[in-house]
Amino acid sequence: MLPELLQGVDTGGLLVIQDSASYSGRHLLQSFINAALNREEAVHVLGFEVSEEELKDGLRGSPVQRLHFHNAYTDPLGWTDHPAFTVHQFCLGELTRLVKQTSHSKPAILVIDSLSWILRHVSTPDVCRTLQQLRKGGAVRSIIGLLHADMHQRGTVGSVCHSATSVITVEPAMRGDEAVAKITKRSKSGKVIQDEEIFRIKDDLTVLVQSKSSKGAKKADSEEQETDPTANLTFNLRLSDTEREAKQKLALPFVFSKAKKTALLHSGPGSGRIHYEPDANDDYDQEDPDDDLDV
Amino acid sequence: MYTELNSILNTTPDSFTQGEFVLLSDRQSDASFLIHHFLSLYLRARCKVCFVGLVQSFNHYSAISQRLGVSLTQAKEKGQLVFLEGQKESLSVLIPQENDTGSQAMDFLRDPSVGLKSLYEFVRSAVSSNAVLDFSHYCRAIVCSQLQGNVVMLVRCDGEGEEDEGDDEGSERLMKGLTHQCSLTLHVQGLPTGYCRDIHGQVEVCWRRRRGDGQYTQKKLFQYKVHDKGASFFAPGTSSAVL
Repeated sequence: MLPELLQGVDTGGLLVIQDSASYSGRHLLQSFINAALNREEAVHVLGFEVSEEELKDGLRGSPVQRLHFHNAYTDPLGWTDHPAFTVHQFCLGELTRLVKQTSHSKPAILVIDSLSWILRHVSTPDVCRTLQQLRKGGAVRSIIGLLHADMHQRGTVGSVCHSATSVITVEPAMRGDEAVAKITKRSKSGKVIQDEEIFRIKDDLTVLVQSKSSKGAKKADSEEQETDPTANLTFNLRLSDTEREAKQKLALPFVFSKAKKTALLHSGPGSGRIHYEPDANDDYDQEDPDDDLDV
Repeated sequence: MYTELNSILNTTPDSFTQGEFVLLSDRQSDASFLIHHFLSLYLRARCKVCFVGLVQSFNHYSAISQRLGVSLTQAKEKGQLVFLEGQKESLSVLIPQENDTGSQAMDFLRDPSVGLKSLYEFVRSAVSSNAVLDFSHYCRAIVCSQLQGNVVMLVRCDGEGEEDEGDDEGSERLMKGLTHQCSLTLHVQGLPTGYCRDIHGQVEVCWRRRRGDGQYTQKKLFQYKVHDKGASFFAPGTSSAVL
């Protein structure tokens, strides 16, 4: 599914790449940018977290002529007199104006690095609303955003991901240069597809999916790996079919079946009987003290 | 500075990565011995250093640096070191210097219009982790990216590191936010097996954002022991007390 998404997010779609402190999703984000540039699409990057040099450094080899970097890194809060782009300008009007500044025939792809930066300063409902408006507005074809899931409360992350059409959660894998991507994709019909893949990003920013690690496959593997305890022994622990049948038929001594209960409670002919004749001193109660027992 | 740590980080006073944001953190331990390493490293490299000390006094750092062979008082007098003491209300007078092209300087210190004072006041008044993250972002944007200088920041984590669901102000969130911003982290923790006289704890070094040669995060774990004139670092299980 990852290569499919890399080939293009649907028009009007929002892809959220969720990462954490243990594995940065920026590298995958750069892969998406690279793939879009190679498809000759215009890409607008709203850069809060890394400088233009750092981003372009990672995109060496990509056709960066169609990449437009909007600098929100140097002064995102407007502390100087002439900020390039501030976080408070994150609204439909400003972003549409920004994207339309460069003249391209086709609507561009907007990449946001990162949504976490914006969410720290703009309320979650406002961010979600702006993203929705952008998707439907027509100025951008689709949006790709990076979100640091461990920097926000679960509700915030949930709200943003809920309004996304695809979510890729990246985590470190066992091997250092690989990562696990958990993908959720919502199609227009409402169908939700989930998948999990192990991938590696090559030097040219193409993504190589090493294997699919769906949960079903994992279970089968663990079963196969379990060793058979009855193998390699000097004595035989296995049961033949007749032995298994006999074992299942056996009535265990302290398990009460109906037949056993009646046999115990109503002693048959020939077994001993107890005759009890109380004296005057005995306190004989006619009631059966075991009457309330439900054996 | 600690020579073993220099070889781990591949740094010397003559060559170290510029534009780095180093995050030092500790959990139920004390990472301040790493501060002394970086302080003496950059002073020996003849960089201009601005030290914002919010925890200890100047004298404390001066005494320890003396043992490491670096005189903070001298550096301060020469104008190489600007020490902002959080505990006192005073701010050092900023002396304009000739532009030393070879050094990684915090040039904005010399520019009165930008005003370190305003940043400093901001830090003092900042109570939310959000504000600290903004401050560190600007530090990185100005010092690391614009001026190719380095920033070293120490943050302390309390508790076991569990997610504090409703607490946006928690040190965990701040720690995660800073980790996302930095290029190198050194995380100090006590040994998971408990107290040991010969091994004071472990340091996890994590390189993020390596340029050029692959961008995956690289992590290495070392154990350390702090002693009078420095600290020694070794691979887990190779402490001289054990071997």
